[in-house]
Amino acid sequence: MENNGEEVPAPPTRERNVLLLDLSKSMFAPLPDPNGGGPERQKIEVARTAVFRILQDAATSGNLFGLVTFTETVRVPVPLGEIHRENLPYIENLISLLTPSGRSAIWDAIGVGADLLRMGTSGVQGNLVLVTDGWDNASSRFDVRMEPTAKVAAGKVDLVPYILPAHSRLTLRIIGIGNGDERDKGADAGRMNQFLTQLNQRAQELGLPPAYSFQLVNTSTQLFAQMVNAFVDVGYEDDRPIEELHPEELARHAANAARALKEPQQHATVARIKSSTAAAKAAEAAGYSESPEIEVDFLASGPGGPPAYLKERYGPLGEVVSAYLAGELDRALELIQRTQGFLPSVTRLYWEARIQYARHAVVEAARALLQAWTEAEKLPAATQAPILRRLAVLQARMQNDKETETLVRFIDETEHRLNNGDPKTRERLMDLFSKLMELRGTYQLTRLAGEGDIQDAAIKHEAAVEEVFSLLQDARLELASEGATVEGALDFIEICLAEMR
Amino acid sequence: MTEVKVTTRRKSTGKREPKSSVDATRIAVVGIPASGKTTYFRFLSGHFGLNLPILYIPSRADNGSLPLFGDLENDVALEETTYETTDPTDPEGSLETTTRYYVNRPMEDRRKLWVELSAGRDEQGILTKYPLPTKFNQFVEMKMRFRYAAPEGEAGSRPMELQTVDEAGGIISDYFTYDRIWLDSPEGEVTEKGCRVIPHFDSWRPDRRDLWKRGLTLLGRFVCEADAIILLLSPALPSLRDQAQQVNLARGVFRYTRQRNLPLVIAVSKADKLKEFYGEVEQSVRERTFRSTFDTTDFLLRRDGAGMGTILVAQEGRGISTKEDVFMISSAVSTGEGHPLFIGESGEEAPNTGTVTMGVPVMVNTTLPLARACERILERRATKGA
Repeated sequence: MENNGEEVPAPPTRERNVLLLDLSKSMFAPLPDPNGGGPERQKIEVARTAVFRILQDAATSGNLFGLVTFTETVRVPVPLGEIHRENLPYIENLISLLTPSGRSAIWDAIGVGADLLRMGTSGVQGNLVLVTDGWDNASSRFDVRMEPTAKVAAGKVDLVPYILPAHSRLTLRIIGIGNGDERDKGADAGRMNQFLTQLNQRAQELGLPPAYSFQLVNTSTQLFAQMVNAFVDVGYEDDRPIEELHPEELARHAANAARALKEPQQHATVARIKSSTAAAKAAEAAGYSESPEIEVDFLASGPGGPPAYLKERYGPLGEVVSAYLAGELDRALELIQRTQGFLPSVTRLYWEARIQYARHAVVEAARALLQAWTEAEKLPAATQAPILRRLAVLQARMQNDKETETLVRFIDETEHRLNNGDPKTRERLMDLFSKLMELRGTYQLTRLAGEGDIQDAAIKHEAAVEEVFSLLQDARLELASEGATVEGALDFIEICLAEMR
Repeated sequence: MTEVKVTTRRKSTGKREPKSSVDATRIAVVGIPASGKTTYFRFLSGHFGLNLPILYIPSRADNGSLPLFGDLENDVALEETTYETTDPTDPEGSLETTTRYYVNRPMEDRRKLWVELSAGRDEQGILTKYPLPTKFNQFVEMKMRFRYAAPEGEAGSRPMELQTVDEAGGIISDYFTYDRIWLDSPEGEVTEKGCRVIPHFDSWRPDRRDLWKRGLTLLGRFVCEADAIILLLSPALPSLRDQAQQVNLARGVFRYTRQRNLPLVIAVSKADKLKEFYGEVEQSVRERTFRSTFDTTDFLLRRDGAGMGTILVAQEGRGISTKEDVFMISSAVSTGEGHPLFIGESGEEAPNTGTVTMGVPVMVNTTLPLARACERILERRATKGA
């Protein structure tokens, strides 16, 4: 092992992702759609969709993102860096202009991708995702050995040690399009597996965790499932952003929300909400999970109508959402029912419920939502909390439970708006929300306690309120210049605390 | 931030300036904006000077005698010092102070206050030169002097001083709500950094920030030296924000007095706005023989009469007793038409039409919190002495 006794440099604080996209001529070829509902989609079209999505995520999360495209030449259209939301339209335009041509220099592209993630003595730090439908037939700089004991071709560099020097923290996910048993029919499964074997061996020698995978996809829906495993929701027509609320309206919202906490019998949905922070901690404790992680996106309504490029960003789900927003509810229902098999069940059932509710088919909506709750319970803890909140908002709407809806919406919107900011600030606010929710318990005791115990219960509740208030004051002092969303959230919590009496 | 100059200008007629009361025991009155601080001070001053009658509900068996008296050494019933910034938009502006003295004399217009300014406006100095709707450019320190205990003069009674910062309910609320800015000594100063605990403080105009900081410091210093606190709670706040502000203030005051083992008395002001309580007031005014047996404790704790719910229950026995230390008061019972209710010489409601009779304002229980605060201060001193 090369790193024995050496001090391991600290890993980067933000996630670093590089997508390596094959633009060889074969990407023009269509991918079959087993559902047969729509026209066949070209591989490049599907891949572009994925890039839109990943870019959107990067702009929202603040993670670093870079794009490498390759034919026989390797190019870097988007260097590794932070994606600013205002630059998104330009980058998206650029992506839409990418046109396949020529051959595939796969190994050279991986080498360039690793260079983007290289951090001096820390080695290569970050995540590489390679999407390719072919065999390497044009690399001029790098090569992968045919066998562990073999040597690379003369004049070329061995790719494996190059991308995996000591101290690296690299994950590599290869998505091969099409069956690659035969040349020109799809990705070169044999060579890819050789490559991964050598990477695993190298990782073992260096004492690094193996984090390399290869998966073949044969249909457009499979490719979406690989690249667009998402739960997407949009705001309701009458939603108003936190920043637009008059202070008195904010107070009314907070007072309403506090009622949801004070009257659990009338607001049972609140009990199903879980804290993101607690869920993340639970997930950490639970360790590695094989379940695929669903990306959760909430597209808050804004001026100018629904967000652009929905179809391009989210593929079939984007089409459903577009149809829903356009008021074409029957078409939206038809489209969502066709997604069975490749969209996450929770996403499909949620959207079915939402569309049915909009169609005033209350029984069907309730049935679908109930199933969505069941599916949501099976999700990994980290993604579960925001999905549960979206389910809760819909359920509250269906039950005309304004109090729960206000509470959940406020928490959800705050978290969404803080996604771009400092993760510590977000975590701190979510923790405060979580502690606010926990006050339900002590408050209930003051209602249920018998004559003799009521003062004990009241003292405990007041102590709990004071503890949260103390944390709130610290947050006010330390987050004084964090902007309107943070201030609004703190005001909301402060008024909720006052209402919990 | 540009330093603001401070100039002091005291305008008075000299002879009416009150005698210094260095030894006076100080009671601080705190409450949110519009909780009734001004009315409490001005009508109560009238009581001490003019012996205005006070109605007690529930009725007291001792004919309402309380060992509270006006300060015969001073004809000044009330002293108000206005701290005012000059043009608030001028960053070079200075902070000026102007003091007004009130003497006991009923105003000609009976709907107005029962204490009168001792000097004409010309002598008072110019007040509110640059008024802002929310009066962010000024606050007023109010002092009312009275005596507690035996009526036979100085030897038998103690000088007391009731203080508040008027026009500054927001400052009071912020000070007690956010314990991160509490001062530990009468020389302490609230810092700009500490003020960030106040929502949106950084977004305020510099002159408002400066005034707020000064107000917090002034308040912090005088409550540091206070011997007791009277908390005024308004039960009739239409705004949810105001309700939240009051609850947070109350919780803060409980924390403050508990930490410092300071006597606390609560006065639920404007109690006449509570329907059940008003019924008792009305009946007491109309029927001279009616003796109210209103159960204040039950109303406050079990029927949430103060809007404090579990808070009062939690504090019971931890520095206050709801039965002994919480009172429902009304400094000037309203007729419901924006005018105070008056009773004439016969003790019945004075007619609001026809010949204007002088009448006196109907005050309910106003002296009780004060007397209780004095009693607790003396109890505490006796215990300490022992």
